Amino acid sequence: MRKTRILLADDHKLIRGGLRLLVEQQTDLTVVGEANDGRETVSLAKSLKPDVVVMDIGMPNLNGIEAALQITEAHPEISIVMLSMHSDESYVLRALKAGAKGYLLKDSAESDLIKAVHAVADGKSFFSPAVSKVLLDDYVRKLKRSGAEDAYDLLTPREREILQLVAEGKSNKDVANLLNLSVYTVETHRSNIMEKLHLRGIPELILFAVRRGIIS
Amino acid sequence: MPAFSKNAAPALRRTSREDEPEAQRHSQHLRQLLLISFSWLLALLIGAGVDALLAVRRLDRASQEVSRRFTVRNHALGTIVISVRYYDDQLERFLLQDQLQESGPDPAEVTNKIAAVRAALLDYPPDGDPDEQLLLAAMQQQLQEQETSCAIVLAWRSDLRQKRAYQFIGQQLIPWRTRIFELSAQISSQEERRLAVENLTVATRFQSLESRLVWLVSLSLVAGVLMSLVCGWYILRLERQARLRYEALARSRLELEGLSARLVEAQEEERRNISRELHDEVGQSLGALLVEVGQLGKLVPPEDRATQAQIVQIKSVAESAVKSIRDIALLLRPPMLDDLGLVPALEWQAREISRRSDMEVEVHSENVSETLSDETKVTVYRLVQEALNNAATHASAKNARVTIAQNSDKITVKISDDGQGFDPGRQRGMGILGMEERVRRLGGTLTIASAPGKGATVEAELPLHKADSP
Ligand SMILES: Nc1ncnc2c1ncn2[C@@H]1O[C@H](COP(=O)(O)OP(=O)(O)O)[C@@H](O)[C@H]1O
Ligand SMILES: [Mg+2]
Repeated sequence: MRKTRILLADDHKLIRGGLRLLVEQQTDLTVVGEANDGRETVSLAKSLKPDVVVMDIGMPNLNGIEAALQITEAHPEISIVMLSMHSDESYVLRALKAGAKGYLLKDSAESDLIKAVHAVADGKSFFSPAVSKVLLDDYVRKLKRSGAEDAYDLLTPREREILQLVAEGKSNKDVANLLNLSVYTVETHRSNIMEKLHLRGIPELILFAVRRGIIS
Repeated sequence: MPAFSKNAAPALRRTSREDEPEAQRHSQHLRQLLLISFSWLLALLIGAGVDALLAVRRLDRASQEVSRRFTVRNHALGTIVISVRYYDDQLERFLLQDQLQESGPDPAEVTNKIAAVRAALLDYPPDGDPDEQLLLAAMQQQLQEQETSCAIVLAWRSDLRQKRAYQFIGQQLIPWRTRIFELSAQISSQEERRLAVENLTVATRFQSLESRLVWLVSLSLVAGVLMSLVCGWYILRLERQARLRYEALARSRLELEGLSARLVEAQEEERRNISRELHDEVGQSLGALLVEVGQLGKLVPPEDRATQAQIVQIKSVAESAVKSIRDIALLLRPPMLDDLGLVPALEWQAREISRRSDMEVEVHSENVSETLSDETKVTVYRLVQEALNNAATHASAKNARVTIAQNSDKITVKISDDGQGFDPGRQRGMGILGMEERVRRLGGTLTIASAPGKGATVEAELPLHKADSP
């Protein structure tokens, strides 16, 4: 069986060493390179063509967000797991917009890194449980204080189903096949969902799904 | 910054306090001098005026007296001459009544006429000079002689009159009359001379008054000009001093502003450095430690409960250390600004405050570009941070709203809350001062609108510079 090839990017050698230790305990994973800053990450990603890039958000010379943007633009097949200290929505959304599939808090890297790498290598997404919790807390608090209702309650069961599939990264055609619907119907459902939840774009949709624990 | 402003202000005051007593004494002397000179000039002018007025009045009276005296004497002399003519005429008619074949005047009438001459002579003012007295005495003498001859002639009968009238008239009356007229002419010319002399005296006195006035006026003029010069010089000096003082003030204010601007800059830089150190060195080491401890936990068999518990303990201590380091670093210099850009950083901040207070913060942004200069971003960020912290801590607000909008040449940030409000004219601390300083440094304007019970709105307009556009 072919091993999943991983590029590690962090500006701290110590951290990279720790991550490498974790990865190399797994028989199906291998570290093909280490990068010290954003620019190096981009060039190594282009030359090594790893399956997964595990990358710190805050790096010198091009931060993780910018590096992710450049990598996914050139090689959409490379999956990116963002490492971050921050569980705040702003960070998560930025990472999603930059094309990251996984979002891992550094605190929980040790326990979740392997899960995250496996998930994104399979084309799924992964978010640290703590992130979902913070996102949900913020959301609930806001609803409570403003007295507004949870927009999620407005979704029909079918729309919830489609929301989950889209958030998991399925295309309209995949969804249509899975649910035995026409692509046109799926399209309509999707725009209804976006409207009901006041979402602009797939990254916000994924964020919403993470917040509600629909995906992890 | 507080330490700095406390030191700078007294230093500034000290320089001006040192040369102040000297300058003050100087200008006090000058003021006294000017006051004395002015009163002196005023006294001079008033004295000159009063003196001139009195002198003119005196001269006027003197010249009136002179002409009155002349008129009285002239009139008296005229009366003498006329009365002589009447008498002469009457006596002639009396003497020649037979030859002319008409009735002559009564002798008593003639006596009356000569009495009139005497009265007129006595009427003449007796206070003339000695020459005049002599002439008058001569006239008196003539009159006496005439009276004697007159008394004799009046007693003449018709025949005697016919015989001797012509002789008497030719030899006595005409020479007498001529003599009287001569004397009166002499008196008259004497009087005229005297009038001329007295008029000359008056004129001389006028002239001396005139020259005194000219002297006084020129003296006042010179004094006035001198004093105007001194005043002008004094005013110029004051103006120069005021200008110098103003310039010094402006300069020191500029220095002060430059200093505090550099202070803010240095503060920001220092914060960034400490934050980076904390985050990069301490934080990352702790992170690595966490990873290592995790590894250790895997190496220890699960049956060894005691060691496992120890490891969990170590992990939780390290985690809380990581968390506090992170919080401090965030407060000092939020990496969000560099990692995410301004608006996401503001949204992060809004959520942070919403999480730890009872106030819900909303952020609205309009065309905010991603390429703002670091200075502008930090300024906006710090403004929002301070205003939101104020709203959360002082206002007991329930809601706050941050609006940030950008157009071609400026960026506008507005933070409003629905709290209890305050009086921004009087209540200001380091927070508000810091906001003002930051905004002023970028050449922007800051307005704080609030009133008790009305909430508060902080609004800043920052001009965009070249560095702010791509
Ligand atoms: N939004 C606000 N609502 C009510 N009061 C405020 C608000 N902002 C400032 N204040 C008042 O103005 C004072 C000065 O504020 P500031 O300069 O930030 O200093 P500090 O926050 O350190 O007290 C505060 O102590 C508070 O009384
Ligand atoms: Mg304050």
